[in-house]
Amino acid sequence: MPTKNQSNTCDEIFFSTFFKGHIKALRNFLFYKFGNLDHAEDVAQEAFVKLWQNCGSVPLEKAKSYVYTIANNSSLNKIAHEKVVLKYEKNFKGLDKTNESPEYLLEEKQFQAKLLKAIENLNEKQRVAFLMHRIDEKKYSEIALELNISVKAVEKRIHLALLSLRKEIDL
Amino acid sequence: MKKDHLLAKWLNNDLSKDELAEFEASPDFEKYQRIKNYTAHLTIDDLDENAMLSNILKQKKVAGKVISFDKKWMLRIAAVLVLALGITFALRFFTPETQTAGFGEKTTCTLPDNSEVVLNSGSEIKYKKWNWNNDRKLELKGEAYFRVSKGKRFEVHTQLGKVTVLGTQFDVKARNKRFDVVCYEGRVKVNYKHTQIVLTHGQSVTFENEKQVNINVNSLKPEWIDNEISFHQENIRSILDEVERQYNITIELNTNDTTSLFTGKLPSKDLNVALQIIGTTYNLKAKKVSKNKIIFDKK
Repeated sequence: MPTKNQSNTCDEIFFSTFFKGHIKALRNFLFYKFGNLDHAEDVAQEAFVKLWQNCGSVPLEKAKSYVYTIANNSSLNKIAHEKVVLKYEKNFKGLDKTNESPEYLLEEKQFQAKLLKAIENLNEKQRVAFLMHRIDEKKYSEIALELNISVKAVEKRIHLALLSLRKEIDL
Repeated sequence: MKKDHLLAKWLNNDLSKDELAEFEASPDFEKYQRIKNYTAHLTIDDLDENAMLSNILKQKKVAGKVISFDKKWMLRIAAVLVLALGITFALRFFTPETQTAGFGEKTTCTLPDNSEVVLNSGSEIKYKKWNWNNDRKLELKGEAYFRVSKGKRFEVHTQLGKVTVLGTQFDVKARNKRFDVVCYEGRVKVNYKHTQIVLTHGQSVTFENEKQVNINVNSLKPEWIDNEISFHQENIRSILDEVERQYNITIELNTNDTTSLFTGKLPSKDLNVALQIIGTTYNLKAKKVSKNKIIFDKK
C-alpha cells in the first residue's frame, strides 16, 4: 500500500526504471575513475543495494545524488586505481572505410592506439569528465551535477583533457 | 567567452558560427576533429543490468524505514513538547512559590524537603524551590506552624524578625506589631531587631513594642491547628483581629476600654461561643448586623 508518506523509491517499478536509467552511467563513472571494471560494477551494485534498503528515506528525486555519493565514498577506501583500458566499438575500423591501402591501415592503427594510451594517461579528473561526455554522451550540466562541481569546472577539465590528448598524439 | 574553455565548447557543439570558422582555420583543428570523431566510438563492455537488478531487489529493505517520515514528525513534536515542558519546569522551578491561607481557612503544604507548614487563616509564605535543600529560607506573613525536616539551617523571615532552626517544630506569628514564636521540639533561634534568643522545646517568646515576654507552653502543637485560638496576654483589638481572620468577618468595637489583656482560648469553629466569651470577659454585648458583620457595644 503506497501511502503519501512512503517514498516511491520503494516501488519496484519506479526503482527498476531508475536503476536502468543510471546503473550504466554510474558503473562507467566508477570505471573512468578507478580503471577496474569488476570493481566498478561491485561498487555500483552496492550503492543501489543501499538505495533499495533505505528506499523509505530517500525520495526518488534525491536517489541519483544518493547513489553517486555512496559509490564515491565506498570506492575511496578500496584499492589504488588501475589504468583505464578502453576499446573501440567492434565494427569501428576508422573513419575512411574506402581507403584500404596498407599505409593508411597502419597509420590508422597507430593513431587509435596512441589515442587510447593518451586517454589512459590523462589525469583522473579530466579523464572522468571527458569520458562521461564522450562515452555516456552526458551534457556538461549533468556531469557537473554528478561530480558536484560547476559547469565551468567541467568545461575546464574537458578543455585541458583535449589539450593534453592532442599533445600526446603528436609525440 | 573565456578562451580557456573554447575546446570544451567546441566538443559540445556550443561554438558560434564565427568562433567555429576561426577554430576550423587553425592548424590543430584536424587533429582535434579526429580525437572528437574517434572518441565517439569508444565503448565499454556491456553490463547485465537485469541480473544485477534482480540481485538488488532480493535484498531486504531496512525495517522501519518506511515510517521514517512519520518518525521525523513525531520527533519534531516530541522536541517541541520537551522544550515546552522544560520551560514550564524551569519557570516553576525558579519563580518563588507562594502558599496562602485566606480568611476563614487553613492551608497545609509540604516544602521540597518534606518539611510541613500549616498556615493559619490570613497568612502567606513565599519560598524558592530552586536549591531548596541548601538554602531553606522562606518569607512569612501572618502565622504558621512548622514541622521542619532535619537538614541544613532553616530560616523563616518575617517583617518583624527572623527565626532560624535545624529541624524542629515551632510556630511563628507575626501580626501587626506583635511577634510570637513558640518552640514545640528541638531548638529555635529567634532574632528580633537587635535581640537574639534561643528557645528550646516548650518555650515561647513574644515581642511587642520592644517588650519581651517569655512563657513556657505545655502543648505539643499550636492550639489553632485543633481549631482553638489561644491568647496569652493580648489586648482586645488583636484578639478581635484574630477572630476576624478565623471567621472571615468584620467586627466593630464601640468601647474605650482596650487596655485589659486576655489570656485564654477561643474556639475557631463556633462563632457564637467565641463572641459570648469575649462579651462576658470584656462586659460587652455582641450584635449581629449582617452575616459578616458584628458590632460590640458596651452593656
